[in-house]
Amino acid sequence: MLLIENPLNSSPLAFPVLECFHIVGFAFSVGTIALVDFRLLGWGMRRETPAQIARETFFWTLGGLVVMLLSGLMLFSSDPDNYYLNWAFDIKMFFLVLAIVFNYTIHRKTALADQPAGGKLVACISMALWACVVFGGIFIGFLNSTLNFKNI
Amino acid sequence: MLLSLALWVQATDFFTYLRGSGYVYPSILSLHMIAIAFFGGMILMTDMRLLGLAFRDRPVADLVDQFRVPKRWGFLLAITCGLLMLGCKAEEYYYNAFFRAKVVLLILVAVHALAFHRSVYLKAAEFDRAGRVPGLAKLAAVLSLLLWIGIAIMGRGIGYIEPPFGIHA
Repeated sequence: MLLIENPLNSSPLAFPVLECFHIVGFAFSVGTIALVDFRLLGWGMRRETPAQIARETFFWTLGGLVVMLLSGLMLFSSDPDNYYLNWAFDIKMFFLVLAIVFNYTIHRKTALADQPAGGKLVACISMALWACVVFGGIFIGFLNSTLNFKNI
Repeated sequence: MLLSLALWVQATDFFTYLRGSGYVYPSILSLHMIAIAFFGGMILMTDMRLLGLAFRDRPVADLVDQFRVPKRWGFLLAITCGLLMLGCKAEEYYYNAFFRAKVVLLILVAVHALAFHRSVYLKAAEFDRAGRVPGLAKLAAVLSLLLWIGIAIMGRGIGYIEPPFGIHA
């Protein structure tokens, strides 16, 4: 078997520094998506239309997502076996895929519509999906003797 | 004195219960993160608007005024979750250098507010009338970004410090 050392594992700083990028990317992407959600719910930014907010935040959301996904893939590569056995990781990936697909399909279409239909429902689904991603992500690091890993 | 307070707080029944459950602490941390995303986004966009990097077609006052109250709610949620986590592991946090750094940065956020609330954030409408954002406001935005990103980084760092040998928790 060919053993290749992942350069990320040669420095104890690599993982925490990547996590910082992951969190800041997350704040930008989910934070800007949440602005659209709050507007759809009628809670904030009522001087703007949902479409204006969706358009103005588009690149910050996308940029944040790219940073979050790239840093996330690198974090995963540091110890794939560990993530494979981690049920919280499965939950996170499931909701992450749903959340991203939802954001760029129904969520975007609703926000950009002249008369958003079902905007409140869409906003609630969007926030719930991202909240599930966060819970999954946080629990990844908390599996131990109390919260067991998967049995395989 | 602080250390004995920390010991007393984490020994209360409430925090002993929170600490003992495998699900409660990570759930509080998750809510803390959700508060950061949902309301940190408002801070980021306010600062980016002052710097002319987002919402350029909308008035500065729109963002500054409309986010003022929601940001406070978000801060309240984040700090409540933060205090609950602090209470669970007060002694560990007492020794944690990243936690100390985070507290210092939070104090600097208060100083930032004292310095710029009147001179920048309450004058957003004037910037719109003048058609330009003054250097002082841009300075406030850059400092705010640095402080909050620093706080996020210090917060992440807290989990990386092993507690000193032989403490109670």
